[in-house]
Parts: sequence; structure tokens; C-alpha cells
Amino acid sequence: MIPRRDPAKRAVVVPQRAELTSWVIMRVTGALLIVLVGGHLAINLMTGHGVHSVDFAFVSGKWASPFWQVWDLLLLLAGLGHGANGMRTVINDYVRGDRARLTWKLVMGVVVAILVALGSLVIFTHDPCPHGAPADLLPSFCG
Amino acid sequence: MIHRHNYDVVIIGAGGAGMRAALEASTHARTAVISKLYPTRSHTGAAQGGIAASLGNVEEDCVEWHIFDTIKGGDYLVDQDAARVLAEEACDAVVDLEHMGLPFNRTPDGRIDQRKFGGHTREHGAAPVRRACYAADRTGHMILQTLFQNCVKNNVEFYNEFYLMDLITENSPVTADDGAESQQGNTVNTTPRITGVVALDLATGDLHVFQAHAVIMATGGAGKVFRTTSNAHCLTGDGMALTLRAGLPLQDMEFVQFHPTGLAGLGILLSEAARGEGGVLRNCDGEAFMVNYAPNIKDLAPRDIVARAIATEVRQGRGCGPDKSYVHLDITHLPRDVIDAKLPDITEFARTYLGVEPYTEFVPTYPTAHYTMGGIPTTLHGQALDASQNPVTGLYAAGECACVSVHGANRLGTNSLLDTIVFGRRAGAAAAAFAAAQEPHATLTSAEASQAASAVVAELAALRTRTEGERVGQVRDELQTVMDTDAGVFRTDESLSDALDSIKEIRQRYASIAVDDRSLRYNTDVVEAIELGYLIDLAEVMATSARQRRESRGGHCREDFPTRDDAGHLWHTVAWRSDDGTVTLGRKPVVNEGYEPMERKY
Amino acid sequence: MEITVKVRRVPEQEGASRSVVGAESSGEMAGAAQPRTGKARTSTAPGYWQTYHMEAKPTDRILDVLMALKSEQDGTLTFRRSCGHGICGSDAIRINGKNRLACKTLVKDLGPGRAITLEPLKGLPVVKDLVVDMEPFLAAYRSVLPYLIADTSTTPTTERLQSPQEHARFEKTTKCILCAACTTSCPVLWTNPDYTGPMAMVNAHRFVFDSRDVAAEERFAALSDGEGVWRCRTTFNCTEACPRDIPITEVIGELKRAMIAQAL
Repeated sequence: MIPRRDPAKRAVVVPQRAELTSWVIMRVTGALLIVLVGGHLAINLMTGHGVHSVDFAFVSGKWASPFWQVWDLLLLLAGLGHGANGMRTVINDYVRGDRARLTWKLVMGVVVAILVALGSLVIFTHDPCPHGAPADLLPSFCG
Repeated sequence: MIHRHNYDVVIIGAGGAGMRAALEASTHARTAVISKLYPTRSHTGAAQGGIAASLGNVEEDCVEWHIFDTIKGGDYLVDQDAARVLAEEACDAVVDLEHMGLPFNRTPDGRIDQRKFGGHTREHGAAPVRRACYAADRTGHMILQTLFQNCVKNNVEFYNEFYLMDLITENSPVTADDGAESQQGNTVNTTPRITGVVALDLATGDLHVFQAHAVIMATGGAGKVFRTTSNAHCLTGDGMALTLRAGLPLQDMEFVQFHPTGLAGLGILLSEAARGEGGVLRNCDGEAFMVNYAPNIKDLAPRDIVARAIATEVRQGRGCGPDKSYVHLDITHLPRDVIDAKLPDITEFARTYLGVEPYTEFVPTYPTAHYTMGGIPTTLHGQALDASQNPVTGLYAAGECACVSVHGANRLGTNSLLDTIVFGRRAGAAAAAFAAAQEPHATLTSAEASQAASAVVAELAALRTRTEGERVGQVRDELQTVMDTDAGVFRTDESLSDALDSIKEIRQRYASIAVDDRSLRYNTDVVEAIELGYLIDLAEVMATSARQRRESRGGHCREDFPTRDDAGHLWHTVAWRSDDGTVTLGRKPVVNEGYEPMERKY
Repeated sequence: MEITVKVRRVPEQEGASRSVVGAESSGEMAGAAQPRTGKARTSTAPGYWQTYHMEAKPTDRILDVLMALKSEQDGTLTFRRSCGHGICGSDAIRINGKNRLACKTLVKDLGPGRAITLEPLKGLPVVKDLVVDMEPFLAAYRSVLPYLIADTSTTPTTERLQSPQEHARFEKTTKCILCAACTTSCPVLWTNPDYTGPMAMVNAHRFVFDSRDVAAEERFAALSDGEGVWRCRTTFNCTEACPRDIPITEVIGELKRAMIAQAL
């Protein structure tokens, strides 16, 4: 027997447009990711010697430019946002019991928060020319 | 344990008439609807073609033509005052449905579209007229859904999957005054007063006693008396049979409509709308034979005429198929977009059940038992009448189970949906008005309720405990075969006499049938056994009434008396059960408002 | 031809809920009386398989098969039926694992030589054999205000006008027969009984896109929360299950677009 609650008496009242917003975000981030991931893969894998040219110097070189900083930040946020929202629906669909659902969503939220924090920290505090590193590993502009 | 309920109005049945009555009654009185099905399962939903109203949206039409067509279509056995009410209130009834939300097909200027239908004509038979308002070929479905939607909106109380088991009667002399047009006024009579019903809750097996000032029967027809029928499995005439068992009469039960175009072998309905849109019936030679039977309006003749024409073609060896057992319905010349827009459901039936593609192939059809013109006799306000034509206090009827009589000896297509809406509303209003004027019933004590339900308890107990006996299905099959063979499209005194003998024997066997299922909840086995009892009662009344009518009129075709006999037979048959259980017959005059019977040519 | 039919038999269940439409309390009682246990949510119905052998024609409906079994072999076999030709919606069951109407499925449609399996619909409480409790389903129906709410300040004495194009906008969803084949085919419902479900969305669509109706926003509100249209995962099970060929997933998509348009 599977009981059904009266829709008017649900325990958690979700704000009217939360699900609509989340649905729109899913589509917007999805479309954004196609561009961002496509650009990312094109630059990293298809230019120069492909994946073999990706090294510390390559990454540092990119992040020296604010354009790539913003690009990668957007990639980070859109990817995690899209993925987390997807995970949320998976939890909603497959985890049984309100408390278990809430727990899993909290765990996921914390993980996402940590990843966002770490990711943006790296993008904005990255030092392209760490002191004492061998010069052949560093970008050309390190003096 | 017996549950007790106390209402003003209790409506039995949640089809077109029941729910229309409920919408009316529930705004004025405490109303409950008891239905053996969920409301949207009712057989109103199977009606396809349309609902008649002389709106005149697409061509000139008027109420008077509608009245005339109804009377002539019913082969002059229609009560003409009732036909007038039906036609006069038709436009309001349809507009009312539209306001409730019914999604009618529309004309280019946004009004309700109308199509042609059998027997509906302009200028008293000159040519077919477009009078049927429709929603594709699922008009009944849309009416049923719309009424249910409005019942949800108005918070009508339903008791779904409750089976009517008995009427509670009180035998004190009573006066009849519901404001209805009872000619006898305040005549004192000994007819039982109806004070409630006993119902079985299928889900629990519990019995419920409903007290009510007014009970409205809206239980539909009894097509399951026959084997080949367009009727649902639930159409076992429960309300008619229990009214009969309460000592009250049924009227005109010999008149059963056979719909011309059932899917051959299955009986599933193919709407007359197929012919209204231009479809043609053809025999094995490819001949459009209806021109020989109704030279003027051909395939759009009333159903009794078309059904007999098909049966005659087959009898005379011009049938189609390996056994020459059916004729063809041809809609291959209609544009595909017209078929898709206006006949989508019935073309799908042909594809699903016969594997025939109606775009390019002919559809095999044969007449199928479709509608019981007869039923519980009522006043124009739906109040039931006893055998001496006195109104019965507390009992109303509407829809197919009632006989007002607007259909006479043969119902015109689209007039039945109209009947349910017009007389459903009237019965609901009259019942609520009557109930409002009464003091509430003192709620029965537990002991009184047990007393009221005692006969039902005994019947159920007997069925549940009997271990040896014939199966319900076997006896039912035999009854249906007998009725198909001996009381079908064509009847003779001999065949009807045979039918009565067989029914008598079947009744004896019924007394000792046994069921497999002894459980309480959802015991459909026991319910089917009880329904079979109703069918046997009604089959007997039909055959007895048919045998007495020694003429051919409308749906009743006697081969031994092939013509209509207005001098000797222009009366309604009234049938009731005497104390010894035999069917007794009486007669009742037909109300004439000036349309004199003439030859019925189309 | 000889066929083998395996029917999921479920003995009568205690506590089958009452179905009084209009009396909202009955639906609640049905819910409140049942604890939400893990066991209750198992995807297979309780009960056992019973195998029957019988003669049938290839053109017999599955409903004919069931009726013949009940009539000739086993009167205890319990199922709902009424019209017998796919218009009343009584006999939606799982046939060979798919939701279909027993009266619209022929023996020959199911492929020769293998047993036909018949089960009750998933996701609604089973009451007995193939009969499920429809009350949760109807509660979802009622939640979307499934009736015309027109502007009553200007009720004309004749019909309200509506062009054929306006009528065509919602005509497909008027075909719904409330059989529950769609809603009970939806995997979201199987794990979340509170999900509004495709049937209620179809019936919301029927009025939202009716030019005579003015209450779209109220229906959108009922479809907005976590159990509403946004929960649809577009698995297309409902579209496939619908015996009336309503393109349900598309219908839900139209509702989503209308709700976004309204929000903007």
C-alpha cells in the first residue's frame, strides 16, 4: 500500500517558482556547458600538439588572462550547478523517506560548496611563477 | 454491520441522467449519488454521434420540426407533451452543457457545429437537417466528463462501486404532491412510498442503508439481456428490475432498439454519424440498398428501419463475408481529414477489433441491441407512476431506465443524450423540491436498519454459501442466446412463446446457481449472480409485452403482424408483477397533442 | 488455439479505502491509515502467480479471456470491466509488463507461443487481484481543478464563442478516459506516490489551453511544486501507455512552456 498525501498538506512547502527556476537553470547551464566544454576541449586538446602540450606552463599561461579565468570559473559553476541539480533530482526520485532525502541533499550541498570554493580559489590565487621552480616548467613570461 | 446514511435525495447511477440530476438536486438538498461504477465509467460515455437541439447554427431549424421528427421517429407511440418538453428544452440544455465546459466542435464563426443524423429532418421529412451538436465522435464521453467535472466542482457526494440491492418501502397511504403534473392530484393510493435504498459496498462487502425522501433511478438500460449488444457489461437493468420487484410497473418494454451498425460479430457501436457524414451501407453486390427502403433519406432513415433493412438483406442472401452474415459500411469516399476530424474513434474500433482500414476498406456491420425505449413510467417531472397512473411518492426516474415517453417505439439518434440531460435535470429539481418540503427522516436505529436490509442479507448469504449449482456465466449465456434468437430484430408469436418457456426454465435453474467466490471484498462473482436475476426478470417482461403487441411498430417487428395497427394498438404497454409473481399487462393511452398518426415513410 | 495465462492473484486486502468523491476526508483517511513503510513500496504487487490454460481465438480481447476464465474456470478471479471497447477506462491492467486496456488488446497482439501475464497497475494500492484503489489517482485529478472556470461576469445566453483553431488547441487532451494507464506507468510515481502524475497534467492541459477558461494560474500553482510538472523526467512511458493516443509527454512539455511564459 502506498499512501498519498493531500497535496495541500505536504510537510515541506516549496516556494512557488523554485522548481520552475531550477528547471530553467538546468536548460541554461546545459546550453552554456556545450559552449564552455566545447571551447575548453578545443583549446586544450586540438590546438598545438593536442593533449601533450598541456602542462603547468600551459595552464598558467591560460590563467594569466582574465578571459580564461572567467571562462573556467563559468565552466566550474555551470558544471557543478548542472550536476548538483541533476543529483538533486536523482535523490528526489530514488531516495525514500523525507529525512534520508534531506540528509543526502545536505551532504551533496557541502561537497559542492567545497568544490566551488577550492575551484575558484585555484583560479584566482594561482601563481604562475612559483619561487624556485625549474624554469623549463614555467611559462615563458616568468622572469 | 449495517451502515446508515440519511439524505434528502439519493440518486442511483452516475451517468448522464444521474449526474445531471445530481448537479440540480445537490444545490437544493443533501444529495448522495450511489453508483456501481466510478462515474466516468458509465455508459453515457460510449454515446458517439451527438445531442439533438434545433439551434439552427448551420441551417434553418425549429423546435416544431424536432417535435414532429421525434413523434414520427417513435412511430406515434411517443407522448406528444413529452416530446414537446424535450425539443423545447433542448437548446437550453445544450447551451448549459457548453457553459459547463463541454468542448463541442465549432463552426468557422465559433458557434456549436451541427451534423445530420438519422430521422432528423426539415419541414416534416422533406430532407435531412443538421441538428446534432457534437464533439467529434465522442459526444457522450464529453458529456460524461463534463458532468463529472462539474460534480467535482460542486463537491457532489459519490458512493462509488456501491450496488443497489433493494428499495425501502413504506406501505402507508400517501398523498402525491411534488408540483409535478399529476392529473390525479392528491389521490390517496396504496402504492408503496419509497423511503430509501439498501446498497452493497463492493470494496468492503458491507451493506449500507440510505434513507431519503426521494430516490432517483438513473441506472440506464438493460442491453445485457441480449448477447449481441453495444451495451456495457454493467447494463443489467438494476433500477428497472428493483422497481418491478417493488410492485411497480414498467412501460413499453417490448421496444428495444437495434442499432443498425454494430461491428459484425462484436456488437461494438459504429455511430450513425458515419452515415451522417456521408457513409453508405452496401450489400454483397456493392449496391447501396437503403434506397429501396427509404427512397427519400436513404441511409439516414431511423434506426429501426435501417436495422430491419440490413437484417432483410442478409436474410435474402445478399449479405457479405464467408457466411453472408453482415453488410458493409462504406466511408472510403470521405476525405481522410474529415474521417480523422469527425470519426476518429469509430475508425479506430474497426482497425483494432476487425483489422479493417476504413480509409480504403468497407467495415462489416450488423444490427446490435442498443437501447431500451421502455422503462419506469414517469411524469414529465420524472416522478414514477404506479400501475393506475398515480405518482409514486419518493420515486423518480430519468434517462434510459425511465419511460416518459419521448422515444415511443423507436428512439431517434441523439435524442437519448438529450433525454438524459433534459429529464435528468427535471427529475433532480422535482426530487429536491419534494424533499425540501419534508421533515427529515428520523435516523433508523441499528435494529431498524438490519430489518430493512434483512432480505438482502439473506439473499447474499444464500449465494455465498451454496456449494453446488450451475455457473452464473453459463445461465447468462443461455438467456442471452434465447433473447437474441427469439426476441431480436424479428419476432413472431411462436418465437416469443418459445422465449417465455425458455426464460421460465432459466429462472428455475437460476434459483440454484452457485458462485466460486465466497469472500467479502470485491466479490464480483456474487454481484454478477444478482445482476443475472435482474436480467431474467426484465427478459420475461420484454417477451411478455412483445407477445401481447400483435402489430409491428418501431423497434418491435412482428413477422406474423407486419403492419402497424393504430386502431387496435395505439397504447403503451404497462407491465407489473402480480402477487404470485406472474407478469400482468395493462394499457395506457398515448398523449396526443394533435400530431395524428400517418404512414411512416422516409 | 490454446493459450496460457498467468494472472497475479492478490487475496482481498484489509483496509480498502472508500471512494467518496467530494468528501475530501475519505482520501486523507486512506492515506493516514497506511504507514509509509519500505515494504509497501516494493515494485511487485503482493500475491502469487496463478496459471490458467484455455482455448481462445487470436482476435479475442484480453477482456474476453478474463471473462471466459471467470465464467468457466474460476469465479474468484476479480477485475473491473464495463464498456468492453476502450471508452470507459475500467480495465487498465499490466499485460505482459505493459499498461494497456484489456478490452483494446487482442490475443494476437501479444505474440504467439508465450504465456500472457496479467498484473494489477503499479503504483496504486492493490485491493484484490487486478483491482487497485483509484482514490489516490482521483485525488491527483481533483488537485488540478479539473473543470471549466470561466469568466462569469459575461455569461452569454447562447454558447460562448470559440473558433475551431482555439478548440483544436486542447482537443487532444479531451480524449482522456481516466483509466490510469499513464500515471501508473510513470517511474516517478512508483517511488513517489505524491507525484501529481501524467493524468492530472493532461486534465490540467485540457482547461489551461481552453480559450473559455480563466484559471490557468491557479492550475499552474497546483503543478508548480516539487511534485508537479517539473518532476517529469520525460521517459515517455505515459505516452506509450495511453490507450487514447494522447501525446502526454508533449502535453506536459506544453504546460512547462506555458508556465515559464507566465513566470516571465
